[in-house]
Amino acid sequence: MATIAVVQIPGVNCEYETARALEVVGLGARIVRWNEPSSVWNEFDGYVLPGGFAFQDRIRAGAIAAKLPAIDQIAAQAERGKPVLGICNGAQVLVEAGLVPGLHPGKVELALAPNRAPRREGYLCRWVWVRVERGPGHAWFASRSLPAQVIPLPIAHGEGRFLTADPDVGDRIQREGLVLFRYVAPSGAPADRYPFDPNGAMLRAAGITNRAGNVLAFMPHPERASWLRQVPLDFKNVWGERRREAVGNWGALEGPGPGRVLFESLARKLGVDAPRETAR
Amino acid sequence: MSAVLLVRLKITDLTAWSALETGRRLLPRGITLERLVREQVLLFEPQPGTPPDVVEPGLLKAVRHSNFFVNPNKESYRLLGAGDRGDTWIPPEGAWGLLARAREDTRDGALMERLQREHPLEGLAMIRRAKVWWLWTLDARGGAGIGAASGALGELHDQRQGLLVNPHSEAAMVLDGPVPWSRVDRFLTEQTPAVHVEA
Repeated sequence: MATIAVVQIPGVNCEYETARALEVVGLGARIVRWNEPSSVWNEFDGYVLPGGFAFQDRIRAGAIAAKLPAIDQIAAQAERGKPVLGICNGAQVLVEAGLVPGLHPGKVELALAPNRAPRREGYLCRWVWVRVERGPGHAWFASRSLPAQVIPLPIAHGEGRFLTADPDVGDRIQREGLVLFRYVAPSGAPADRYPFDPNGAMLRAAGITNRAGNVLAFMPHPERASWLRQVPLDFKNVWGERRREAVGNWGALEGPGPGRVLFESLARKLGVDAPRETAR
Repeated sequence: MSAVLLVRLKITDLTAWSALETGRRLLPRGITLERLVREQVLLFEPQPGTPPDVVEPGLLKAVRHSNFFVNPNKESYRLLGAGDRGDTWIPPEGAWGLLARAREDTRDGALMERLQREHPLEGLAMIRRAKVWWLWTLDARGGAGIGAASGALGELHDQRQGLLVNPHSEAAMVLDGPVPWSRVDRFLTEQTPAVHVEA
């Protein structure tokens, strides 16, 4: 069985539910502390940097964690083709470490800047819609979704705005299809305003991969949408209907939520056939 | 001319402590980082043609006699009025500075709105926000080794070089000696927009 290391850096707070979301799709998951010896890291088939506030976001979100020897080790494993998923704070770490987009390997080419929306500032905690795009990351993180599928997911961040000061980086991210998930309106139309565009990210990017597609910096929290019970009851879409139909039916509530496709895709790529309780 | 408020923690600043610990690991051999202090910088921009004595008495009152800008239980401050801040900004003795600002816009409209609600200040146009890192470094020859130290600790280049400033979201100015306030004002007010690529 493929086993994923869920990296526990001081200050992260989503490691247990992330491990659970990996396990439910048939992957093995082990929570691994950041200060494990370097020999430990090559035991795994993939890595997830979960959400939270690594080192309390001191200096900048992800800035200190990006300097950890463990991240060096994970970068080396990514170079060998193993998958790395950074969720929210984990995405900030990957960007600060220069693993994403990796156009010039090792060089930091992006920032995750404070959210920017008219008359709104600070931390944002809500559901958004993201559209699956084609790109090198599709086979790793989106193969269990339909092309252009729109997925509702929760976000919870203060600094989620992908940004670059280098126009060439922006152009290449777009040209090479490195935006794997993009914020959209529920209809799939471009997110032209808040709340569909929640933070003002360049290219409306919710998730950006490296060129090989095996490293994804993803701001939404798929592990908080991996079970139907996590979907809000008042959603006015097919997920909301399913959620309301499942009230009182514990088995149905334990069925997949919209975020599970991401973990299922990873499992499939690693040769694990995920159990699928209900059709989407 | 603008007034400047500098606020720093007088209790242990854990962010500065973490920057110190991480920064020490990034420095090239022969350079040591002795001390590091972080200060918030607020620049109060008067409306054009408004003399400082219209804005500053009210500002001084808001700073001294309320908790709006400064929590005296944990923070200390220096308020430098337009008239008494001098021509140059002089780093603390033995230190050099790294002044960092958001690349796109330094204006803090929300703070300005709250201030005008709680402490209406006539003649104030805008508050701008930045931060300054003061660093005490030593090289093998007894100098500060500012060039090498700012390369190692300043703008982020890769996992091994740079720490305090991500140049994709922030711009930085090295304060390696007395710096004319006019240059600081220009740095904090000019537009240095980051690239925003449309989908």
